[in-house]
Amino acid sequence: MKPRRLLLLYCLVLNGPAWPVADTLPLPPGVMAVDGTPAPPLRLDSLDGEPYDLAGARGHWVFIHFWATWCGPCKREMPSLQRMLKQLQTRQIEFVMVNTAESEDEVFTFLATVAPDVTPLMDTRGLVTEQWQPRGLPASFLVDPQGRIRYQALGGREWDTAPYLDFLHRLEAD
Amino acid sequence: MRIPDRTPRLHRLPLLLAGLLWALSALVRAETPPTPSVENDGLYMFVRLNTPDQMAAFYEARGFPDNAIERLRRTCFVMAHIENRGDEVIWLELKNWHFLTRQGEVQRLNRNDWERLWDEIGLPQASRSTFGWTQLPGERDLQPGEPVGGNVILPATDDPFTLQADFLAGKDRRAGMISVRFENLRCAKDQAAP
Repeated sequence: MKPRRLLLLYCLVLNGPAWPVADTLPLPPGVMAVDGTPAPPLRLDSLDGEPYDLAGARGHWVFIHFWATWCGPCKREMPSLQRMLKQLQTRQIEFVMVNTAESEDEVFTFLATVAPDVTPLMDTRGLVTEQWQPRGLPASFLVDPQGRIRYQALGGREWDTAPYLDFLHRLEAD
Repeated sequence: MRIPDRTPRLHRLPLLLAGLLWALSALVRAETPPTPSVENDGLYMFVRLNTPDQMAAFYEARGFPDNAIERLRRTCFVMAHIENRGDEVIWLELKNWHFLTRQGEVQRLNRNDWERLWDEIGLPQASRSTFGWTQLPGERDLQPGEPVGGNVILPATDDPFTLQADFLAGKDRRAGMISVRFENLRCAKDQAAP
């Protein structure tokens, strides 16, 4: 698989529907549980032009990350996300990066230097991001196997450090 | 052997020096004013006033059209960064922020003002979205450990002003109020080229 195809990191090995809601998981810093409202639609094309639809992701957890190149915390967080992706890529969480309202040139140039293995979805008009109502950029959501938002991260996080990796591993095992 | 004639280069020396001086003065002009900060009852905050040139460069680089840039240049950008370093939820509510001059309160330009303007000039949706994300939210809870940053935009003024910002604390907004004050702020200006 070409590195740019890692977009959706389909690291999916579905083990069957054994996912009690992970409400009791201890949370790492800056991650908060939310009420499980249904995730808004997310249908976008990737930087490579491949279509993606969140509706097709039932049955596994999805980590959805909204970002923009002009956002300082996004820029600082991105290498950590890339390292985290490498550590989890054989697991059962799907990772989806959504760029907010930028052009392909801006995104391509940025990722080439900061996170070359990431291929984001392109929300070129910014309307999908607005439907999701993140608290700011960057923003990360965790959508459960039933398509409900269960967790949200507040601002940029060190995703490749132990508390976050442990948390994601526990979700995988859930 | 041909001896190179350096005379033309010497003639250019004053020009080079002038260029160097211009570049140095441009660097000075590009400096932003000092960044005042406060930490009070678990709330950390700093503000920075960016020049029209700085803001224009930011939005131009993101493809904003000239007529939008021209409107943005007429304003005063106050960039604020806030972090909840305490244990209680803190409420960021711009209605509780007051920009005070000797002449009275300056009303910030709110999202509706901008939407009207963007409608007038037909700003593309992508630019509207980017612009929106660069603004400080009008109302937001800040969870413990959570940062938020963005711009608040005022009509340009030459008068110094004070920013009085009050934040209610507690999940239900009943755990008291944190007040911060930044005095003698001035809208940053581009200096005229020499």
